[in-house]
Amino acid sequence: MGEVRLPHPQEESSVSEDRIQVEVTKHSLVYISEEMAVLLRKSAFSPNIRERADHSCALLDAQGRTIGQAEQIPVHIGSLPLGLKNTLRYLEEHGVPQKKGDTYVVNDPYISGTHLNDVTLIGPVFRDSQIVGYVANKAHHVDVGGMVPGSISPDATELYQEGLIIAPVKLIDGGKLNKEVLALMKSDSRQPDFIEGDLRAQIAANRLGERRFLELVTKVGASRFPSVAESIMDHTEELTRHEFGKMPRGTWSGEDFLELGGGLLSIKASVSFTRNGVRVNFDGTARQVEAPLNAVLGVTIAAVSFAVKSLISSNVQLNDGFNRMINVVARPGLLVNPERPMPVAAGNLETSQRIVDVIFRALASALPDRVPAASHGSMNNLMMGGILPNTGESWAFYETIGGGSGARPNSDGVDGVQVNMTNTMNTPIEVMEHYYPLIFSEYSLRDGTGGQGRWRGGLGIRRSFTTKARVRVTILGERARIRPWGLNGGKEGENSSYRLKRADGKTLRLPSKCTTALEAGDSILIETAGGGGFGLRGLRNENARKRDGDYGYK
Amino acid sequence: MVKLPSTPKHPQTAFSKSLAGIWEQGVSPENVTSLVHVTTIGSNQLLGQEGLELPRCAFVVTKGFRDILEIGRQNRPEVYNLFFERPRQLVPRRWRFEVRERVDAEGRILEKATEAELRALARKMLREQIECVAVCFLNSFVNARNEIRTKSVLGREGLDVQISSEVDPEFREYERASTTVVNVLLAPLFSRYLSEMEKSIRKAGITAPLEILTSAGGLVEASRVARRPIIAIESGPAAGVVGTAEVARILGLKKAISFDMGGTTAKAGTVVNGEVGMVSEIEVGGRSNRGRTVKGSGYPVRCPSVDLAEVSAGGGTIIGADPAEGVVVGPMSAGADPGPACYGRGGLSPTLTDANLLLGRLGDSLLGGSFRLDREAAEIALKEVGSKTGLSPLELAATALRIINVQMAKAIDLVTVERGLDPRDFALVAFGGAGPMHAAEVAEEVHVDNIVVPPVPGLFSALGMLMTGHRYDEVVPKVGLIEEMSDEIESSFLAMEEALIERIHLARGEKARVERSLDLRYYGQGYEINVKSPKPFKTETVLSLFRRMHMRTFGFLHKGKKVEVVALRLTVRTPNPNLDIGKISSPSGVGHSRERSCWFEGGPRNTPVHQRAALGKTPDLDGPAIVEEYDSTTVIPPNWQLHWVRSGCLILRRSRR
Repeated sequence: MGEVRLPHPQEESSVSEDRIQVEVTKHSLVYISEEMAVLLRKSAFSPNIRERADHSCALLDAQGRTIGQAEQIPVHIGSLPLGLKNTLRYLEEHGVPQKKGDTYVVNDPYISGTHLNDVTLIGPVFRDSQIVGYVANKAHHVDVGGMVPGSISPDATELYQEGLIIAPVKLIDGGKLNKEVLALMKSDSRQPDFIEGDLRAQIAANRLGERRFLELVTKVGASRFPSVAESIMDHTEELTRHEFGKMPRGTWSGEDFLELGGGLLSIKASVSFTRNGVRVNFDGTARQVEAPLNAVLGVTIAAVSFAVKSLISSNVQLNDGFNRMINVVARPGLLVNPERPMPVAAGNLETSQRIVDVIFRALASALPDRVPAASHGSMNNLMMGGILPNTGESWAFYETIGGGSGARPNSDGVDGVQVNMTNTMNTPIEVMEHYYPLIFSEYSLRDGTGGQGRWRGGLGIRRSFTTKARVRVTILGERARIRPWGLNGGKEGENSSYRLKRADGKTLRLPSKCTTALEAGDSILIETAGGGGFGLRGLRNENARKRDGDYGYK
Repeated sequence: MVKLPSTPKHPQTAFSKSLAGIWEQGVSPENVTSLVHVTTIGSNQLLGQEGLELPRCAFVVTKGFRDILEIGRQNRPEVYNLFFERPRQLVPRRWRFEVRERVDAEGRILEKATEAELRALARKMLREQIECVAVCFLNSFVNARNEIRTKSVLGREGLDVQISSEVDPEFREYERASTTVVNVLLAPLFSRYLSEMEKSIRKAGITAPLEILTSAGGLVEASRVARRPIIAIESGPAAGVVGTAEVARILGLKKAISFDMGGTTAKAGTVVNGEVGMVSEIEVGGRSNRGRTVKGSGYPVRCPSVDLAEVSAGGGTIIGADPAEGVVVGPMSAGADPGPACYGRGGLSPTLTDANLLLGRLGDSLLGGSFRLDREAAEIALKEVGSKTGLSPLELAATALRIINVQMAKAIDLVTVERGLDPRDFALVAFGGAGPMHAAEVAEEVHVDNIVVPPVPGLFSALGMLMTGHRYDEVVPKVGLIEEMSDEIESSFLAMEEALIERIHLARGEKARVERSLDLRYYGQGYEINVKSPKPFKTETVLSLFRRMHMRTFGFLHKGKKVEVVALRLTVRTPNPNLDIGKISSPSGVGHSRERSCWFEGGPRNTPVHQRAALGKTPDLDGPAIVEEYDSTTVIPPNWQLHWVRSGCLILRRSRR
């Protein structure tokens, strides 16, 4: 047998070692953010995080650019990069020196980029006396004060009504927990236990991230790490550029609407791809409103990023290399880039969903085999709370409900599922009934509610419960009047509906956004929208028709 | 040893053939004292493998909730894939039936179905030719009476019924319903399969009992699995970890990581003080992403299973390029057919085996010289992909190796670091055809300094099956604050013990170990921690253990928070048989070269090649070195040494620099 000729050690190019390092580091960064998220979830207290996983984690380089992020909640993922940059800028402008062992807490949407419930923790990672990067995470706290249990009120007309606003402050000062900040946050919440429990889980996640980050930097070499990180981001940028290169040239426009009171708010976007990125211009979109539907810029960028990422190859990583290819043009004062002190609680819940719809609608003709019909288009937020009859303690609860996903160019939509900007899980009914004074009567798919077509939309969900004590309920939904659209002749999905049934049997229809008080024995019935259909019903094939009878189609 | 391809349509055919193969090797049926079986027909059936149709199964549930099976946890398995699909529905919607009944969270019966309603339902199901029925009512884990009654009424009408409060009496309705349905669906297949197998072994003249290795890594009688197939769904991978536990015991290792790398996947598990790391829930038929199960991609099944992290990393894993010159390794695999390019069976994509060959880590043949490898084909394949990444074939091979080693290290992290265990305290037990080849570099990634390569690494999992005793698990739901329940807990444990011991009929003279544990959490917290309990039960002991484990796993405590009990668990185990692994060895290989050039981090090295059978007891070989045997190749990098051979195991150590 012939001897293999291997390059002599001296011949071995340093290029290859660098390449290996870049690949290995890229994977490791994602692993770290995943590991942080798992720890955060496992040790959290509120059902919102532990059951629904409403949180995300990220790693940044010393310049505050995202270098590693796992695929978690899209609205968090997309808004974290800008939020973290803003936070670091705020600290610098306010002359806050960063020390080893510091962790800053922030939830000001105009800085950290979503809504007040999303509390962000960010901490520098020091090696000797130098910052080598940052670890950060964002988690949805179930109650941060404000007008209603769950904090998200459809009636808010300014930010100050939506809960405690925290500009970046030190939650941990040089390794020491700042008890005053914790006390302040707890005292402003209807669920102080959850604030503390979930914050501790967030702190633990960042600590773990910091430790892992340092190990990684040491392994790569502290002096080498910045250039390795740079290469990772550049590689992602190159991949993204390659993907964008495959997109058709031109500018496409779309429009869709949000429902507010009796009126509609228009969101318009024009989208164009170039080798230097995607450009999304929101000119023509409605002005900001004195209602919580305003989406801060971070949310708008998150929605655009999601829509774009889901239309390109799955190999593109989530880091600054991708983020820098997303160009959003949204003039201040628009619904999609409001100015303080506009309320914003529903911006990342509902407006973000609609922005995705608008971008898909714009690109439907450009990418006919990739863009699905409209999904149910809402997070169907349900907030509630009151006093527990057995202990006298106050409680607050938050969940979102899925619906039908839009039919795809080659398949039916999926029934009863979270779409686009969220992917949180449901809270098991047995968990809710164990902790809260509620009893559920239904959780099922709504027959025949997906828009018909060659491919049908997914079915909406029906979820209803009766209270066993006085409970204040807030609903923040969408698509009650404007149905999810179909494509290529596919029909619209069924609209959503929200109803209140009094103990005496009287039923009243609720608007898609409202707060109401329930007495023991009263019930809430929520029906979420179905997805739009794709193609003409006449083209539906035999196999697909066979399933139809089971799902309420004739 | 006999190794044959499976026969999916008639799984028992391959089994009969393998028996014939064993007789040919000179074993006679009457000398068989133990017959242990593992099978993957469970997951194959759920994945819709051809020839294994699902039985006609009905799902009976509380009124208003027939779709909980389909909605699942309401999330989608892939966030950015607009074309995602749910796993296929195991029970068609028309066979999901609702019953007017309700139990509240405190266990009060608010409504119960009338006899007439249930009988009418039974008739409807019989008309639909339903073969089996799964019943899952809300809160039945608190009060099972409505379920029990439904079972008895439907059963009287001639239906085969299982209820969730018996199959998986724990909270979270979707997971309980899914577990019950999977059990019900698999039962007909398993009982048919096992009874046919029983027949064929008796016909062959074997008198030893037929036993099955469970996903929890213990043996149970075949008849028990026939009724409760969920306990044996993941039995194959469990065998290797069980073998690792026994190797650790023989060598006196307190902590061991099992590292099993074969043709398509690599799996990691742990053993601490003789205890195999376990999880209480798995997702059957689901996908995993970087070692982590993708929630919503399969069917949740709750039953104690060996904790395994699995990544797509095996000899057949394909090396590719992305459009921006990045190297992508996996998750696609060339499998066994066409297999790696160097197998010369028409595979064109380069694989890890091709990389190992080009780097000189593999010799030019496998299976003791009987299977030639085509080096040129490997190089061509690597060159093709290399040109898309700007790397030479060798550089590409080296890069791919490093990437995959990091991914496998991640799997180890998942079962150690994420469970609060420090891998540095562990020894790595490496097996599977490719395990010993990658072990040292993977060990370095996780800072492990000791490696054990057991005898016959390529077939070690099969050996593992013969190294374990019986194991029975029982769980009883018990929800409440621990401080208010200590008497109740003790009496429940006693009752569980009595019932379980009676049911399993321990063989005469067989000694059993009874272990108690509780699932605990802070009141309001999401995840339970399983804590061992002394007999008799002592609240303080258990609480302090809980706090210690919480601190270790999460890094903090919730001072002043009350602790809630969720479930009581009981495990009964019999001792492991004593298998002398020192006497087992694989057929000796035929060495072609005494030395070859082999790539290591830092470049190529002239590397001596040894035959395992020819090694003495204290070889004290310094790396770089290669040890070849029939079914595997062990790579010893420069900074490692083969320290000694004990009980047939190679012990590798990292030199302290």
